[in-house]
Amino acid sequence: MNIRILGGCLRVFSWGAVLVLTGSVLMLLGYLLVKGVPSLGRDLIFGQVDVLDAVLLKKRVFDGLFPAIAGTLSVVVLSVGLAIPVGVCAGIYMSEFATVFQQRVFGLMFDILAGIPSIVIGLFGFSGAIFIHKYISKDFRPCLAVSVVALAFLVLPYITRTTQAALQGLGDQTRQAALALGATRVQNIFYVLLPRSVSGILSGIILAIGRCAEDTAVIMLTGVVATAGIPGSLLGSYEALPFYIYYISSQYTDAAELMSGYGAAIILLGVCAVLFFLAFLIKRHVAGPAGPARGRFHG
Amino acid sequence: MDNPVKIRVENLTFSYHQTPVFEHINLDFNAHAITAITGPSGRGKSTFLSLLNRLWESQPFAKMEGKVWILLDGQWVDIYGKTLSKPDLRRKVGMVFQTPNPLPMSIYKNMAFPLKLTGMTEKALVDAKITAALRQAFLWDEVKDRLHDSAFGLSGGQQQRLCIARALVSQPEILLLDEPTSSLDAGAASVIEDLLVRLKERCTLIVVSHYLDQVSRIADTALKLEARGFLPV
Repeated sequence: MNIRILGGCLRVFSWGAVLVLTGSVLMLLGYLLVKGVPSLGRDLIFGQVDVLDAVLLKKRVFDGLFPAIAGTLSVVVLSVGLAIPVGVCAGIYMSEFATVFQQRVFGLMFDILAGIPSIVIGLFGFSGAIFIHKYISKDFRPCLAVSVVALAFLVLPYITRTTQAALQGLGDQTRQAALALGATRVQNIFYVLLPRSVSGILSGIILAIGRCAEDTAVIMLTGVVATAGIPGSLLGSYEALPFYIYYISSQYTDAAELMSGYGAAIILLGVCAVLFFLAFLIKRHVAGPAGPARGRFHG
Repeated sequence: MDNPVKIRVENLTFSYHQTPVFEHINLDFNAHAITAITGPSGRGKSTFLSLLNRLWESQPFAKMEGKVWILLDGQWVDIYGKTLSKPDLRRKVGMVFQTPNPLPMSIYKNMAFPLKLTGMTEKALVDAKITAALRQAFLWDEVKDRLHDSAFGLSGGQQQRLCIARALVSQPEILLLDEPTSSLDAGAASVIEDLLVRLKERCTLIVVSHYLDQVSRIADTALKLEARGFLPV
Protein backbone atom coordinates (compact mmCIF):
# COMPACT_ATOMS: atom_id res chain seq x y z
CA MET A 1 0.00 0.00 0.00
CA ASN A 2 2.73 2.39 1.03
CA ILE A 3 4.62 1.61 -2.14
CA ARG A 4 1.52 2.41 -4.20
CA ILE A 5 1.12 5.77 -2.52
CA LEU A 6 4.80 6.47 -2.99
CA GLY A 7 4.54 5.49 -6.65
CA GLY A 8 1.58 7.79 -7.11
CA CYS A 9 3.39 10.68 -5.44
CA LEU A 10 6.45 10.13 -7.62
CA ARG A 11 4.27 10.20 -10.71
CA VAL A 12 2.55 13.43 -9.70
CA PHE A 13 5.88 14.97 -8.77
CA SER A 14 7.48 13.94 -12.08
CA TRP A 15 4.55 15.40 -13.99
CA GLY A 16 4.83 18.59 -11.97
CA ALA A 17 8.55 18.83 -12.69
CA VAL A 18 7.98 18.44 -16.43
CA LEU A 19 5.21 21.06 -16.32
CA VAL A 20 7.38 23.53 -14.41
CA LEU A 21 10.21 23.04 -16.88
CA THR A 22 8.03 23.45 -19.97
CA GLY A 23 6.19 26.35 -18.37
CA SER A 24 9.44 28.15 -17.57
CA VAL A 25 10.73 27.86 -21.11
CA LEU A 26 7.43 29.06 -22.58
CA MET A 27 7.16 31.93 -20.08
CA LEU A 28 10.72 33.03 -20.70
CA LEU A 29 10.32 33.00 -24.47
CA GLY A 30 6.88 34.62 -24.25
CA TYR A 31 8.12 37.40 -21.98
CA LEU A 32 11.09 38.04 -24.23
CA LEU A 33 8.93 38.13 -27.36
CA VAL A 34 6.30 40.43 -25.82
CA LYS A 35 8.95 42.86 -24.57
CA GLY A 36 11.38 42.61 -27.44
CA VAL A 37 9.39 42.17 -30.65
CA PRO A 38 8.20 45.80 -30.84
CA SER A 39 11.78 47.00 -30.94
CA LEU A 40 12.87 44.46 -33.55
CA GLY A 41 13.41 45.88 -36.99
CA ARG A 42 15.91 47.17 -39.45
CA ASP A 43 16.73 50.17 -37.25
CA LEU A 44 17.63 48.03 -34.24
CA ILE A 45 20.30 46.21 -36.22
CA PHE A 46 21.51 48.76 -38.74
CA GLY A 47 20.46 52.11 -37.24
CA GLN A 48 20.33 54.77 -39.92
CA VAL A 49 22.79 53.06 -42.25
CA ASP A 50 21.69 51.33 -45.44
CA VAL A 51 21.64 47.53 -45.01
CA LEU A 52 23.82 46.85 -48.05
CA ASP A 53 26.34 49.51 -47.07
CA ALA A 54 26.57 48.02 -43.57
CA VAL A 55 26.94 44.41 -44.69
CA LEU A 56 29.53 45.32 -47.32
CA LEU A 57 31.35 47.29 -44.60
CA LYS A 58 31.12 50.52 -46.62
CA LYS A 59 29.64 52.48 -43.74
CA ARG A 60 30.08 51.94 -40.05
CA VAL A 61 26.95 51.31 -37.94
CA PHE A 62 27.00 53.41 -34.78
CA ASP A 63 23.45 53.12 -33.46
CA GLY A 64 22.57 49.51 -34.26
CA LEU A 65 23.43 46.00 -33.14
CA PHE A 66 25.18 44.95 -36.34
CA PRO A 67 28.73 45.24 -34.93
CA ALA A 68 27.67 43.35 -31.79
CA ILE A 69 26.16 40.53 -33.88
CA ALA A 70 29.33 40.34 -35.95
CA GLY A 71 31.42 40.38 -32.76
CA THR A 72 29.42 37.60 -31.12
CA LEU A 73 29.54 35.49 -34.28
CA SER A 74 33.32 35.93 -34.56
CA VAL A 75 33.93 35.14 -30.93
CA VAL A 76 31.73 32.01 -31.05
CA VAL A 77 33.08 30.65 -34.33
CA LEU A 78 36.73 31.31 -33.43
CA SER A 79 36.64 29.98 -29.88
CA VAL A 80 34.58 26.89 -30.73
CA GLY A 81 36.82 26.42 -33.78
CA LEU A 82 39.83 26.50 -31.50
CA ALA A 83 38.27 24.27 -28.86
CA ILE A 84 36.95 21.55 -31.22
CA PRO A 85 40.26 20.08 -32.43
CA VAL A 86 41.84 20.20 -28.98
CA GLY A 87 38.72 18.97 -27.18
CA VAL A 88 37.95 16.17 -29.62
CA CYS A 89 41.55 14.95 -29.61
CA ALA A 90 41.63 15.00 -25.80
CA GLY A 91 38.34 13.06 -25.79
CA ILE A 92 39.78 10.48 -28.20
CA TYR A 93 42.83 10.11 -25.99
CA MET A 94 40.71 9.68 -22.87
CA SER A 95 38.47 7.07 -24.42
CA GLU A 96 40.86 5.14 -26.63
CA PHE A 97 44.39 5.43 -25.28
CA ALA A 98 44.35 6.40 -21.61
CA THR A 99 44.70 3.74 -18.92
CA VAL A 100 42.05 3.53 -16.22
CA PHE A 101 44.35 5.45 -13.87
CA GLN A 102 45.02 8.19 -16.45
CA GLN A 103 41.30 8.47 -17.12
CA ARG A 104 40.71 9.12 -13.43
CA VAL A 105 43.46 11.73 -13.10
CA PHE A 106 42.74 13.63 -16.31
CA GLY A 107 38.99 13.26 -15.81
CA LEU A 108 39.32 15.00 -12.47
CA MET A 109 41.31 17.79 -14.15
CA PHE A 110 38.63 18.31 -16.80
CA ASP A 111 35.92 18.34 -14.15
CA ILE A 112 37.84 20.99 -12.20
CA LEU A 113 38.25 23.04 -15.38
CA ALA A 114 34.51 22.68 -16.08
CA GLY A 115 33.77 23.90 -12.56
CA ILE A 116 35.91 27.05 -12.68
CA PRO A 117 33.63 30.14 -12.72
CA SER A 118 33.84 32.03 -15.99
CA ILE A 119 34.87 35.23 -14.21
CA VAL A 120 37.99 33.43 -13.01
CA ILE A 121 38.77 32.27 -16.53
CA GLY A 122 38.22 35.88 -17.64
CA LEU A 123 40.67 37.04 -14.98
CA PHE A 124 43.16 34.44 -16.19
CA GLY A 125 42.82 35.76 -19.76
CA PHE A 126 43.19 39.33 -18.52
CA SER A 127 46.34 38.43 -16.57
CA GLY A 128 47.72 36.71 -19.66
CA ALA A 129 47.11 39.85 -21.70
CA ILE A 130 48.83 41.99 -19.05
CA PHE A 131 51.78 39.59 -19.02
CA ILE A 132 52.18 39.79 -22.79
CA HIS A 133 51.79 43.58 -22.65
CA LYS A 134 54.49 43.87 -20.02
CA TYR A 135 57.08 41.39 -21.23
CA ILE A 136 56.52 40.82 -24.94
CA SER A 137 54.84 43.68 -26.71
CA LYS A 138 53.73 47.04 -25.35
CA ASP A 139 51.08 47.23 -28.10
CA PHE A 140 49.28 44.14 -26.86
CA ARG A 141 46.11 44.68 -24.85
CA PRO A 142 42.89 42.75 -24.15
CA CYS A 143 41.43 41.93 -27.55
CA LEU A 144 39.43 39.44 -29.59
CA ALA A 145 42.29 36.90 -29.55
CA VAL A 146 42.46 36.88 -25.74
CA SER A 147 38.69 36.40 -25.47
CA VAL A 148 38.79 33.60 -28.02
CA VAL A 149 41.51 31.69 -26.16
CA ALA A 150 39.88 32.21 -22.76
CA LEU A 151 36.46 31.10 -24.04
CA ALA A 152 38.05 28.08 -25.68
CA PHE A 153 39.38 27.08 -22.25
CA LEU A 154 35.91 27.59 -20.82
CA VAL A 155 34.25 25.17 -23.25
CA LEU A 156 37.06 22.62 -23.68
CA PRO A 157 35.80 20.33 -20.92
CA TYR A 158 32.33 20.09 -22.50
CA ILE A 159 33.74 18.99 -25.83
CA THR A 160 36.28 16.61 -24.29
CA ARG A 161 33.80 14.99 -21.96
CA THR A 162 31.06 14.54 -24.57
CA THR A 163 33.56 13.15 -27.08
CA GLN A 164 34.85 10.71 -24.49
CA ALA A 165 31.35 9.69 -23.44
CA ALA A 166 30.18 9.26 -27.04
CA LEU A 167 33.17 7.06 -27.90
CA GLN A 168 32.93 5.00 -24.73
CA GLY A 169 29.21 4.56 -25.29
CA LEU A 170 29.83 2.54 -28.47
CA GLY A 171 29.31 -1.16 -27.90
CA ASP A 172 31.91 -3.87 -28.41
CA GLN A 173 30.11 -4.90 -31.60
CA THR A 174 30.82 -1.53 -33.18
CA ARG A 175 34.34 -1.32 -31.75
CA GLN A 176 35.38 -4.74 -32.98
CA ALA A 177 33.77 -4.73 -36.43
CA ALA A 178 36.58 -2.90 -38.21
CA LEU A 179 39.37 -4.25 -35.99
CA ALA A 180 38.37 -7.79 -36.91
CA LEU A 181 38.63 -6.81 -40.58
CA GLY A 182 42.23 -5.72 -40.16
CA ALA A 183 41.84 -2.04 -39.28
CA THR A 184 44.56 -0.45 -37.19
CA ARG A 185 43.53 1.36 -34.06
CA VAL A 186 43.77 4.74 -35.77
CA GLN A 187 41.81 3.55 -38.83
CA ASN A 188 39.14 2.22 -36.50
CA ILE A 189 38.88 5.58 -34.74
CA PHE A 190 38.62 7.62 -37.94
CA TYR A 191 36.57 5.29 -40.12
CA VAL A 192 34.16 3.84 -37.57
CA LEU A 193 34.24 5.20 -34.04
CA LEU A 194 34.26 8.94 -34.75
CA PRO A 195 31.57 8.84 -37.47
CA ARG A 196 29.39 6.80 -35.12
CA SER A 197 29.94 9.33 -32.31
CA VAL A 198 29.24 12.44 -34.33
CA SER A 199 25.86 13.12 -32.81
CA GLY A 200 27.24 12.83 -29.28
CA ILE A 201 30.21 15.03 -30.08
CA LEU A 202 27.90 17.54 -31.72
CA SER A 203 25.78 17.82 -28.62
CA GLY A 204 28.95 18.88 -26.80
CA ILE A 205 29.71 21.39 -29.53
CA ILE A 206 26.19 22.79 -29.33
CA LEU A 207 26.64 23.22 -25.58
CA ALA A 208 29.93 24.97 -26.28
CA ILE A 209 28.35 27.28 -28.86
CA GLY A 210 25.64 28.29 -26.40
CA ARG A 211 28.18 28.83 -23.65
CA CYS A 212 30.42 31.01 -25.85
CA ALA A 213 27.51 33.04 -27.17
CA GLU A 214 26.05 33.85 -23.77
CA ASP A 215 29.18 34.35 -21.74
CA THR A 216 29.66 37.90 -20.50
CA ALA A 217 32.11 37.54 -17.63
CA VAL A 218 35.03 36.30 -19.73
CA ILE A 219 34.67 38.81 -22.55
CA MET A 220 34.16 41.76 -20.17
CA LEU A 221 37.66 41.21 -18.84
CA THR A 222 39.34 40.25 -22.08
CA GLY A 223 38.48 42.72 -24.79
CA VAL A 224 34.81 43.55 -25.33
CA VAL A 225 33.88 47.23 -25.40
CA ALA A 226 30.66 49.18 -25.90
CA THR A 227 31.63 50.68 -29.26
CA ALA A 228 34.27 49.19 -31.48
CA GLY A 229 32.54 48.60 -34.78
CA ILE A 230 32.94 45.40 -36.78
CA PRO A 231 35.88 43.36 -35.44
CA GLY A 232 38.69 44.10 -37.88
CA SER A 233 41.54 42.11 -36.36
CA LEU A 234 42.24 39.48 -33.76
CA LEU A 235 44.27 42.08 -31.89
CA GLY A 236 41.48 44.66 -31.77
CA SER A 237 38.53 45.25 -29.46
CA TYR A 238 35.05 44.16 -30.47
CA GLU A 239 31.40 44.37 -29.47
CA ALA A 240 29.18 41.48 -28.40
CA LEU A 241 25.45 40.94 -27.85
CA PRO A 242 25.52 39.66 -24.25
CA PHE A 243 27.70 42.58 -23.23
CA TYR A 244 25.31 44.99 -24.95
CA ILE A 245 22.37 43.42 -23.09
CA TYR A 246 24.32 43.72 -19.84
CA TYR A 247 25.25 47.36 -20.12
CA ILE A 248 21.89 48.47 -21.56
CA SER A 249 20.06 46.82 -18.68
CA SER A 250 22.38 48.37 -16.11
CA GLN A 251 22.70 51.85 -17.65
CA TYR A 252 19.58 52.52 -19.72
CA THR A 253 18.34 56.08 -19.75
CA ASP A 254 14.83 55.58 -21.15
CA ALA A 255 12.28 52.85 -21.86
CA ALA A 256 13.21 52.65 -25.54
CA GLU A 257 16.80 51.79 -24.69
CA LEU A 258 15.68 49.05 -22.35
CA MET A 259 13.41 47.68 -25.08
CA SER A 260 16.38 47.52 -27.44
CA GLY A 261 18.03 45.32 -24.79
CA TYR A 262 15.15 42.87 -25.09
CA GLY A 263 15.46 43.08 -28.85
CA ALA A 264 19.15 42.25 -28.53
CA ALA A 265 18.25 39.23 -26.37
CA ILE A 266 15.94 37.93 -29.11
CA ILE A 267 18.67 38.45 -31.69
CA LEU A 268 21.15 36.59 -29.46
CA LEU A 269 18.72 33.66 -29.31
CA GLY A 270 18.35 33.88 -33.09
CA VAL A 271 22.12 33.83 -33.62
CA CYS A 272 22.36 30.74 -31.39
CA ALA A 273 19.49 29.10 -33.27
CA VAL A 274 21.26 29.67 -36.59
CA LEU A 275 24.51 28.20 -35.22
CA PHE A 276 22.67 25.18 -33.76
CA PHE A 277 20.95 24.64 -37.09
CA LEU A 278 24.30 24.72 -38.88
CA ALA A 279 25.66 22.19 -36.38
CA PHE A 280 22.60 20.03 -37.04
CA LEU A 281 23.16 20.19 -40.81
CA ILE A 282 26.80 19.18 -40.36
CA LYS A 283 25.68 16.29 -38.15
CA ARG A 284 23.28 15.05 -40.83
CA HIS A 285 25.91 15.40 -43.52
CA VAL A 286 28.65 13.59 -41.59
CA ALA A 287 26.45 10.85 -40.16
CA GLY A 288 25.37 9.98 -43.71
CA PRO A 289 22.06 8.69 -45.01
CA ALA A 290 22.31 5.13 -43.67
CA GLY A 291 19.88 4.42 -40.88
CA PRO A 292 20.79 3.12 -37.43
CA ALA A 293 21.32 -0.58 -36.83
CA ARG A 294 18.12 -2.45 -36.12
CA GLY A 295 17.61 -4.26 -32.88
CA ARG A 296 15.97 -7.42 -34.23
CA PHE A 297 16.77 -9.44 -37.27
CA HIS A 298 14.81 -11.92 -39.30
CA GLY A 299 15.67 -14.03 -42.29
CA MET B 1 40.88 -36.85 -40.32
CA ASP B 2 43.77 -36.68 -42.77
CA ASN B 3 43.92 -32.96 -43.17
CA PRO B 4 47.10 -31.34 -41.97
CA VAL B 5 47.08 -29.19 -38.88
CA LYS B 6 46.45 -25.48 -39.52
CA ILE B 7 46.33 -23.99 -36.04
CA ARG B 8 48.28 -25.20 -33.02
CA VAL B 9 47.51 -23.92 -29.53
CA GLU B 10 50.31 -24.59 -27.06
CA ASN B 11 50.02 -24.48 -23.29
CA LEU B 12 47.60 -21.58 -23.42
CA THR B 13 46.44 -19.98 -20.21
CA PHE B 14 44.09 -17.03 -20.15
CA SER B 15 42.81 -15.10 -17.19
CA TYR B 16 40.47 -12.20 -16.71
CA HIS B 17 40.67 -10.05 -13.60
CA GLN B 18 43.15 -12.66 -12.33
CA THR B 19 40.48 -15.39 -12.57
CA PRO B 20 41.64 -18.17 -14.90
CA VAL B 21 39.34 -18.82 -17.86
CA PHE B 22 41.54 -21.44 -19.58
CA GLU B 23 44.50 -23.27 -18.15
CA HIS B 24 47.27 -25.04 -20.08
CA ILE B 25 45.27 -25.75 -23.20
CA ASN B 26 46.90 -27.73 -26.01
CA LEU B 27 44.85 -28.11 -29.17
CA ASP B 28 45.27 -28.67 -32.92
CA PHE B 29 42.81 -27.53 -35.56
CA ASN B 30 42.79 -29.23 -38.93
CA ALA B 31 42.96 -27.37 -42.21
CA HIS B 32 39.91 -27.23 -44.47
CA ALA B 33 37.64 -28.59 -41.76
CA ILE B 34 34.93 -27.17 -39.57
CA THR B 35 35.70 -27.44 -35.89
CA ALA B 36 32.72 -26.66 -33.70
CA ILE B 37 33.10 -25.39 -30.15
CA THR B 38 30.14 -25.95 -27.86
CA GLY B 39 29.55 -25.65 -24.18
CA PRO B 40 27.57 -23.73 -21.58
CA SER B 41 27.26 -19.95 -21.71
CA GLY B 42 29.88 -17.90 -19.94
CA ARG B 43 32.68 -20.47 -20.18
CA GLY B 44 34.61 -18.34 -22.65
CA LYS B 45 33.81 -19.77 -26.08
CA SER B 46 33.84 -16.35 -27.69
CA THR B 47 36.92 -15.39 -25.70
CA PHE B 48 38.70 -18.44 -27.07
CA LEU B 49 37.99 -17.30 -30.65
CA SER B 50 39.34 -13.84 -29.83
CA LEU B 51 42.63 -15.44 -28.74
CA LEU B 52 43.12 -16.67 -32.30
CA ASN B 53 42.93 -13.19 -33.86
CA ARG B 54 44.18 -11.20 -30.84
CA LEU B 55 40.92 -9.30 -30.56
CA TRP B 56 40.89 -9.83 -26.78
CA GLU B 57 43.81 -7.44 -26.38
CA SER B 58 41.61 -4.37 -26.26
CA GLN B 59 40.08 -5.69 -23.01
CA PRO B 60 41.66 -4.32 -19.87
CA PHE B 61 42.53 -6.75 -17.04
CA ALA B 62 43.00 -9.70 -19.40
CA LYS B 63 46.20 -11.75 -19.50
CA MET B 64 47.39 -14.57 -21.73
CA GLU B 65 50.30 -16.97 -21.61
CA GLY B 66 51.28 -19.67 -24.07
CA LYS B 67 51.57 -19.77 -27.83
CA VAL B 68 49.29 -19.90 -30.84
CA TRP B 69 50.84 -21.00 -34.14
CA ILE B 70 49.21 -20.88 -37.55
CA LEU B 71 50.51 -22.38 -40.76
CA LEU B 72 50.90 -19.65 -43.39
CA ASP B 73 52.52 -20.46 -46.75
CA GLY B 74 54.11 -23.59 -45.31
CA GLN B 75 55.64 -21.77 -42.36
CA TRP B 76 54.55 -21.94 -38.75
CA VAL B 77 53.97 -18.39 -37.54
CA ASP B 78 53.59 -17.39 -33.91
CA ILE B 79 50.65 -14.98 -34.06
CA TYR B 80 51.84 -13.23 -30.91
CA GLY B 81 55.34 -12.86 -32.36
CA LYS B 82 56.78 -9.89 -34.21
CA THR B 83 56.63 -11.27 -37.75
CA LEU B 84 52.90 -10.71 -38.19
CA SER B 85 51.19 -7.39 -37.39
CA LYS B 86 47.72 -7.46 -35.86
CA PRO B 87 46.00 -6.03 -38.96
CA ASP B 88 47.80 -8.58 -41.17
CA LEU B 89 46.87 -11.38 -38.79
CA ARG B 90 43.21 -10.34 -38.84
CA ARG B 91 43.17 -10.35 -42.63
CA LYS B 92 44.44 -13.94 -42.53
CA VAL B 93 42.12 -14.91 -39.66
CA GLY B 94 38.69 -13.42 -40.41
CA MET B 95 35.92 -13.22 -37.86
CA VAL B 96 32.13 -13.15 -38.03
CA PHE B 97 30.13 -12.15 -34.98
CA GLN B 98 26.94 -13.36 -33.33
CA THR B 99 24.85 -10.39 -34.46
CA PRO B 100 25.41 -9.20 -38.03
CA ASN B 101 27.50 -6.03 -37.81
CA PRO B 102 27.51 -4.27 -41.16
CA LEU B 103 28.91 -0.74 -40.96
CA PRO B 104 26.44 2.12 -41.52
CA MET B 105 27.19 2.46 -45.21
CA SER B 106 26.18 0.88 -48.50
CA ILE B 107 26.61 -2.82 -49.31
CA TYR B 108 29.38 -1.93 -51.75
CA LYS B 109 31.22 0.24 -49.25
CA ASN B 110 30.95 -2.45 -46.60
CA MET B 111 32.56 -4.89 -48.99
CA ALA B 112 35.23 -2.39 -50.08
CA PHE B 113 36.05 -1.45 -46.48
CA PRO B 114 38.70 -4.13 -45.76
CA LEU B 115 40.35 -3.31 -49.10
CA LYS B 116 40.29 0.41 -48.34
CA LEU B 117 42.11 -0.34 -45.08
CA THR B 118 44.99 -1.81 -47.05
CA GLY B 119 45.07 1.17 -49.41
CA MET B 120 43.72 -0.74 -52.41
CA THR B 121 41.92 1.79 -54.60
CA GLU B 122 42.06 0.46 -58.18
CA LYS B 123 38.37 0.24 -59.00
CA ALA B 124 38.46 -2.69 -61.40
CA LEU B 125 40.43 -4.82 -58.94
CA VAL B 126 38.22 -3.81 -56.00
CA ASP B 127 35.08 -4.59 -58.00
CA ALA B 128 36.41 -7.98 -59.04
CA LYS B 129 37.27 -8.92 -55.48
CA ILE B 130 33.90 -7.75 -54.18
CA THR B 131 32.01 -9.69 -56.82
CA ALA B 132 34.00 -12.85 -56.13
CA ALA B 133 33.48 -12.64 -52.36
CA LEU B 134 29.75 -11.96 -52.70
CA ARG B 135 29.42 -14.99 -54.99
CA GLN B 136 31.31 -17.15 -52.50
CA ALA B 137 28.88 -16.04 -49.79
CA PHE B 138 25.80 -16.91 -51.89
CA LEU B 139 24.78 -13.26 -51.85
CA TRP B 140 25.65 -11.91 -55.30
CA ASP B 141 22.32 -12.66 -56.97
CA GLU B 142 20.37 -11.04 -54.17
CA VAL B 143 22.34 -7.80 -54.01
CA LYS B 144 23.88 -7.26 -57.43
CA ASP B 145 21.20 -4.71 -58.38
CA ARG B 146 21.36 -2.75 -55.17
CA LEU B 147 25.02 -2.62 -54.23
CA HIS B 148 24.76 1.07 -53.42
CA ASP B 149 21.79 0.74 -51.06
CA SER B 150 22.31 0.81 -47.32
CA ALA B 151 23.40 -2.53 -45.87
CA PHE B 152 20.73 -2.11 -43.18
CA GLY B 153 18.07 -2.63 -45.85
CA LEU B 154 19.04 -6.32 -46.06
CA SER B 155 17.35 -9.02 -43.99
CA GLY B 156 19.18 -10.42 -40.98
CA GLY B 157 20.34 -13.54 -42.86
CA GLN B 158 21.53 -11.43 -45.80
CA GLN B 159 23.35 -9.09 -43.43
CA GLN B 160 25.14 -12.04 -41.86
CA ARG B 161 26.13 -13.37 -45.28
CA LEU B 162 27.32 -9.85 -46.14
CA CYS B 163 29.52 -9.98 -43.04
CA ILE B 164 30.89 -13.36 -44.11
CA ALA B 165 31.50 -12.00 -47.63
CA ARG B 166 33.21 -8.94 -46.15
CA ALA B 167 35.53 -11.20 -44.19
CA LEU B 168 36.17 -13.30 -47.34
CA VAL B 169 37.16 -10.30 -49.43
CA SER B 170 40.56 -10.24 -47.70
CA GLN B 171 41.00 -13.92 -48.67
CA PRO B 172 41.46 -15.22 -45.12
CA GLU B 173 42.87 -18.68 -44.52
CA ILE B 174 41.00 -19.13 -41.29
CA LEU B 175 37.46 -17.98 -40.50
CA LEU B 176 36.22 -17.71 -36.92
CA LEU B 177 32.45 -17.63 -36.48
CA ASP B 178 30.87 -16.80 -33.15
CA GLU B 179 27.36 -18.31 -33.08
CA PRO B 180 26.75 -17.00 -36.60
CA THR B 181 23.14 -18.16 -36.79
CA SER B 182 21.86 -17.47 -33.30
CA SER B 183 20.08 -14.24 -34.26
CA LEU B 184 18.50 -15.76 -37.38
CA ASP B 185 15.42 -17.86 -38.13
CA ALA B 186 15.69 -21.48 -39.26
CA GLY B 187 15.57 -20.72 -43.00
CA ALA B 188 18.29 -18.11 -42.90
CA ALA B 189 20.37 -20.30 -40.58
CA SER B 190 20.25 -23.24 -42.96
CA VAL B 191 21.53 -21.11 -45.86
CA ILE B 192 24.47 -20.07 -43.69
CA GLU B 193 25.14 -23.69 -42.70
CA ASP B 194 25.31 -24.74 -46.36
CA LEU B 195 27.59 -21.82 -47.02
CA LEU B 196 29.98 -22.79 -44.23
CA VAL B 197 30.25 -26.35 -45.50
CA ARG B 198 31.09 -25.00 -48.96
CA LEU B 199 33.70 -22.63 -47.54
CA LYS B 200 35.77 -25.54 -46.24
CA GLU B 201 37.44 -25.69 -49.65
CA ARG B 202 38.92 -22.25 -49.10
CA CYS B 203 39.35 -21.84 -45.37
CA THR B 204 39.74 -23.52 -42.05
CA LEU B 205 36.62 -22.78 -40.03
CA ILE B 206 36.09 -22.66 -36.28
CA VAL B 207 32.45 -22.19 -35.33
CA VAL B 208 31.09 -21.54 -31.86
CA SER B 209 27.59 -22.96 -31.65
CA HIS B 210 25.00 -23.59 -28.98
CA TYR B 211 22.99 -25.93 -31.15
CA LEU B 212 24.04 -29.57 -31.00
CA ASP B 213 21.98 -30.46 -34.08
CA GLN B 214 23.77 -27.76 -36.03
CA VAL B 215 27.11 -29.10 -34.81
CA SER B 216 26.26 -32.61 -35.94
CA ARG B 217 25.16 -31.29 -39.35
CA ILE B 218 28.21 -29.22 -40.22
CA ALA B 219 31.17 -30.01 -37.98
CA ASP B 220 34.03 -32.37 -38.78
CA THR B 221 35.28 -32.14 -35.23
CA ALA B 222 33.47 -30.91 -32.13
CA LEU B 223 34.97 -29.72 -28.89
CA LYS B 224 33.11 -29.02 -25.70
CA LEU B 225 34.34 -26.28 -23.44
CA GLU B 226 34.23 -27.40 -19.85
CA ALA B 227 35.66 -25.69 -16.80
CA ARG B 228 38.99 -24.21 -18.01
CA GLY B 229 39.59 -26.73 -20.79
CA PHE B 230 38.25 -28.58 -23.82
CA LEU B 231 36.85 -32.10 -24.15
CA PRO B 232 36.18 -33.86 -27.43
CA VAL B 233 32.48 -34.48 -28.08
